[in-house]
Amino acid sequence: MKIKSILIANRGEIAIRIMRTARRMGIRTYAIKTAKEPNAWYLDEADDIIDFSECLSDTPEFLDIERIIHAVRENNIDAVHPGYGFLAENPIFARRCEEENINFIGPSSEVIYNMGNKTVAKDIARKNNVPLLRGSKGTLLNADYARRFANAIGYPVILKAAAGGGGRGMRVAENEEEVERMYNLASNESAKAFNDPAMFIEKYVAQPRHIEFQILADKHGNIVHLGERECSIQRKHQKLIEESPSPALDPELRETMGNAAVDIAKGVGYFSAGTVEFLLDADRKFYFMEMNTRIQVEHPVTEMVTGIDLIEQMIKVAQGEKLPFAQKDIRLKGHAIEFRINAEDVQSGFSPSLGTIEKISWPESKNVRVDTGVRDGSVITPYFDSMIAKLIVYGEDREKALQESSNAIRKFWIKGTKTTLSFCRAVLQNRNFRKGNFNTSFLSSELKIHYHSEPEEEMLAAFFAVFDFARDLEEAEGKKLNVEKGKNITPWLLNKRLR
Amino acid sequence: MAEKNKGAKNTRKSRMIALSTTEKEYVFTNPLDRKVKYMGETIQIKLYEDPNGFSYVLWKNKKYPLEIIEKNQNKYTVMLNGVWHSFTIETPFSLKRKKFLESQAGTSSSVTIDAPMPGKIVEVLVEEGADVKAGEPILILEAMKMQNEISSHVDGVIRKIAIRQNDSVMKDDLLIEIEKH
Repeated sequence: MKIKSILIANRGEIAIRIMRTARRMGIRTYAIKTAKEPNAWYLDEADDIIDFSECLSDTPEFLDIERIIHAVRENNIDAVHPGYGFLAENPIFARRCEEENINFIGPSSEVIYNMGNKTVAKDIARKNNVPLLRGSKGTLLNADYARRFANAIGYPVILKAAAGGGGRGMRVAENEEEVERMYNLASNESAKAFNDPAMFIEKYVAQPRHIEFQILADKHGNIVHLGERECSIQRKHQKLIEESPSPALDPELRETMGNAAVDIAKGVGYFSAGTVEFLLDADRKFYFMEMNTRIQVEHPVTEMVTGIDLIEQMIKVAQGEKLPFAQKDIRLKGHAIEFRINAEDVQSGFSPSLGTIEKISWPESKNVRVDTGVRDGSVITPYFDSMIAKLIVYGEDREKALQESSNAIRKFWIKGTKTTLSFCRAVLQNRNFRKGNFNTSFLSSELKIHYHSEPEEEMLAAFFAVFDFARDLEEAEGKKLNVEKGKNITPWLLNKRLR
Repeated sequence: MAEKNKGAKNTRKSRMIALSTTEKEYVFTNPLDRKVKYMGETIQIKLYEDPNGFSYVLWKNKKYPLEIIEKNQNKYTVMLNGVWHSFTIETPFSLKRKKFLESQAGTSSSVTIDAPMPGKIVEVLVEEGADVKAGEPILILEAMKMQNEISSHVDGVIRKIAIRQNDSVMKDDLLIEIEKH
């Protein structure tokens, strides 16, 4: 059945990105307004707004399943796109949509449940002969059990929340002393974030690459993979830079891993867009990690190299349409890199940097795509995650994409908040990154300083501080700058006086 | 009036030093003049504000966006090209005095751990009087849905714990005081 209207149950850049495709397809879009950011940009991009400003419960607005379901019914909306995040991964929400005859743009609630529970997901991988890492078959009883299990399989181990995702509820323990503390940290985090403290444990592959495959499947049994994304540049299991294709894969390995990803998706009866994540070790052996049953933050790099609009395909699959292409039609062309621009202070351990985006601008170019939910004047609140924009750069090959990236980052200016742009510059400067020679330990072992600044840049900053101080002093001494005469304005302040 | 102008002229002609957090000294002479000198050499730095409201400095044909992100008396934090730099601005005289006072006081023995971001204290991992090593986690702060381990950056003894479990803290709130070894 043709979808005529969609509620986008999300905010920020992903809400805007979904609305753009929906609008192009002639679909009416609805957004949810919250009291936390009543003037956010995504609201202006929607055709209609459902107001959740009034606080009805402690549940965050975008996780309040019954309230969202009620709004969809009341406004007679055909479908819901949850974007990425907790709601997208919640099988109860998909289930409620199914019960209420609302078209949920994503896979079935059963598949979300099976893949969301990592122990079930692993069983499915095992049945399909996809390689797995040694670990607990089920969830662990407690911290002491975790310690004994870790001692048995050897260190390092990784503790993972059964319901986890997005790097939350995950900790690595290097030795016996650490394992109970890490278990408690991860378990508490998971209890808060996912309402489920259950943990499992597995052997931790030191210095693997994180390689994931984009899957697209329809409701008629057709399924393709759209190549891989290299997501090894991470900090605390949070991806920061992603690219496609991966410099580590050749066509042969791509085919093997891609087929494994397709097998897993087929094995669960998948439809819609999804991602199968693998670890790739130094010997180029790969292991299934998990499947994400939703659109991913880093989906644009796949769109850039395949020319396929993933949101459009998700909507069409939800309408019951067949995929318009088969595996043999999929060609990866060129190279795309995504840089996540987070409002974080790289120089203070990536701590969140709140405030107002006074100004934001970037270079417009056919090879540059920016997905963002902020504009001049946008406020960064503590309520949502810190990502404010994604810079996606395309090049004919990796070398050209890197060159374009350096130029784009140089011209990407944000005033009013600290961002991870300085981190992106540091990565682009790194020789091993440029050579494609890196893995998930890149930040801890290879990149000693997480931001990049030329020696002359500190001198320029020092000059500006001295200049401002001297000018304040001059004014305090009673000599007001005489703008009309202009003779006391420092001569090299050419365009306009500062402040 | 003549007197005031004279004073201002002195500011223009004076020597000023930006002292970085790593104790690097950037010496500028005549900072408000066209012929500003850096380390004795005349340099040309141009400051602009573009129509979009960005300030930038033009240096050797390259643009560097900049803004002052903190300013308190002679303490400055300037963000240039996405990286922030902190300085105290000194005159030759004040710098000399500062160095003298520091040599008299010996090394400061106490450091504070302040909240790097607003959030909630999930757990305090140390007790007053406990020995800590640099890099050792001392408390867990939850912010932006993440549990963050806050570590000591010095070797020392916990002198004072200013917060308790479940406290909400603002950015820069004092959390823990540590007496350096």
